[in-house]
Amino acid sequence: MSISLPTYTRREMPLLGRRHRVRAIITTGLRREFKRPAVLVVIGIGVGVTIITSIVVVLFAGVFLQGQPLDLSFFFTPASNGAILFFVTLMASVVGSALIADDLQSMALTLYLSRPITEGDYLAAKAAILAPMISMIAVFPLVLTPLVAALLGSFSWTIALEAIGLSFLIGSLFTAFYTAATLALSSLTRRKSYAAAGVFALTFGLTIPAEILAGPPFNNPAVLYASPWENYLAVARAAFGATGAPIDWRWSLAILLAATAIAALATYLRMKFVEVVSG
Amino acid sequence: MTGVVEAAGISKWYGEVLGLNGFSASFGPGITGLVGPNGAGKSTLFKLLIGQLHPDQGTLRLLGENPWNNVPVKRRLGYCPEHNTLYGWLTGQQFVEALLRLDGMPRSQAEKAAEDALKLVGLSSAAQRPTRTYSRGMRQRAKLAQALAHRPEILILDEPLSGADPLARVQILRTISEFAKAGGHVLMSTHVLYEIERVTNNIVLINNGKAIASGDIRSIRALIDEHPHAVRLETPQPRQLAQALARMDHIVSLEIPEDEALLIRTRKPDAFYRELPAIVADTRLEVRSLESPDDSLDAVFRYLVG
Repeated sequence: MSISLPTYTRREMPLLGRRHRVRAIITTGLRREFKRPAVLVVIGIGVGVTIITSIVVVLFAGVFLQGQPLDLSFFFTPASNGAILFFVTLMASVVGSALIADDLQSMALTLYLSRPITEGDYLAAKAAILAPMISMIAVFPLVLTPLVAALLGSFSWTIALEAIGLSFLIGSLFTAFYTAATLALSSLTRRKSYAAAGVFALTFGLTIPAEILAGPPFNNPAVLYASPWENYLAVARAAFGATGAPIDWRWSLAILLAATAIAALATYLRMKFVEVVSG
Repeated sequence: MTGVVEAAGISKWYGEVLGLNGFSASFGPGITGLVGPNGAGKSTLFKLLIGQLHPDQGTLRLLGENPWNNVPVKRRLGYCPEHNTLYGWLTGQQFVEALLRLDGMPRSQAEKAAEDALKLVGLSSAAQRPTRTYSRGMRQRAKLAQALAHRPEILILDEPLSGADPLARVQILRTISEFAKAGGHVLMSTHVLYEIERVTNNIVLINNGKAIASGDIRSIRALIDEHPHAVRLETPQPRQLAQALARMDHIVSLEIPEDEALLIRTRKPDAFYRELPAIVADTRLEVRSLESPDDSLDAVFRYLVG
């Protein structure tokens, strides 16, 4: 018996640019995420719950918020929905914590980085996978709420459009922060569970103690600056013109932006100098 | 520096563990085998070559350039890692295609190139199966397919035959040979010496992070002459034969490992093989068989690494 095998011939290939290579990482990543039941469940429940609660608030605005003017400040209510915090944290944990950690653990990173892509390309692609997922909870429901409110005639289109724009901006700020922070945590470990725990610690480990220390008997509102959620609320409150902010929104905005930039830079430097060591 | 790979005094530490220890070698064109036991530093050297590790000391050049974080050089190489790094949810076709697109290949061409590469390694029939269902040999072939699908100048293959079945070995070695015949360069590591012998005479022996010998297998074998060469004789009279052979001045040791065997170590194997027939004839002693553990490259390696 003889075996006939094809032979190898070399040929030159035209190669596309960086944008296409980054897109290839995104496609592969999204293909994976949308096959994971946990991701589908979090997306389904997270988006469903945040949208439904926001719409319910709109529908029953007149009942729940008697005496409160139905102006732009009303939209702080859906933006401050606690479900956003919970499901953003959950989404970042389920999707984001594995994005780099899994590649380090499986050593798929060796294959990625043996290709002509830079660490910046790799990180940009990973951020492009995570950010849309988080924004489905942090941006989409907030943008949808004023739209529905305007369609129902509860608010004027002028207010609704302004609310849509502001919702998009503050939702994007929150998305950017969680994307950068989660990728930073994911790049620090080979175990996605550690990174996921880090995301929860970042959220609730800072928010809950900060809220306790800000209230009686401690009455120290300055500690709220330590909580990403409280900083987000301060910025949202200012954006929608709602009153009663315990902390200065300018500092909160600066803290969120600085933390996002520092996390992104730290992740980039980590990837730039990471050495993929096999067993 | 003119070789495909030039390494001069490369050292790499992992904390307190030394991965490479002043490794120096020059790999020329064609196929070069990097041979050494597990933990010798082969994978570390390859990680340095593909720019994923940075040497702590020394200089390294791949195709004339420093590979550390060098994106243009990555376009010119194909890397097949030792460990399983396949995304199990992707089919073989999707896996190769995804990595081709990371090289910047258009989708339509990537599809065709992936098909061609999978055919080349004999995986066409399994191309649409998720890679998590692949056997170890199939995974090795899929990894080889992704390494050569974009037509690199140099293939860096870390233990490509590990776990491969006999047919897969034939296909992998045939593919590597064809790649080299077409003008490509191949660096291939293994800890099984005879695998390298099938495709190249050029080898670099590595142990404890150092290159202990390099060059043509024949020149490395010449080093044997500087070391005792072992010959094992099957004979019913090992003591009498040992007495007769002891007269040879190049004999280093005589040992009777079993009742009917004699193990001889000589510094002059050529002289030993020339003189042995006459001694056996003169003494009328029976010698049933003769074998030298040195006949395989394994013996060379054992000698050189002590």
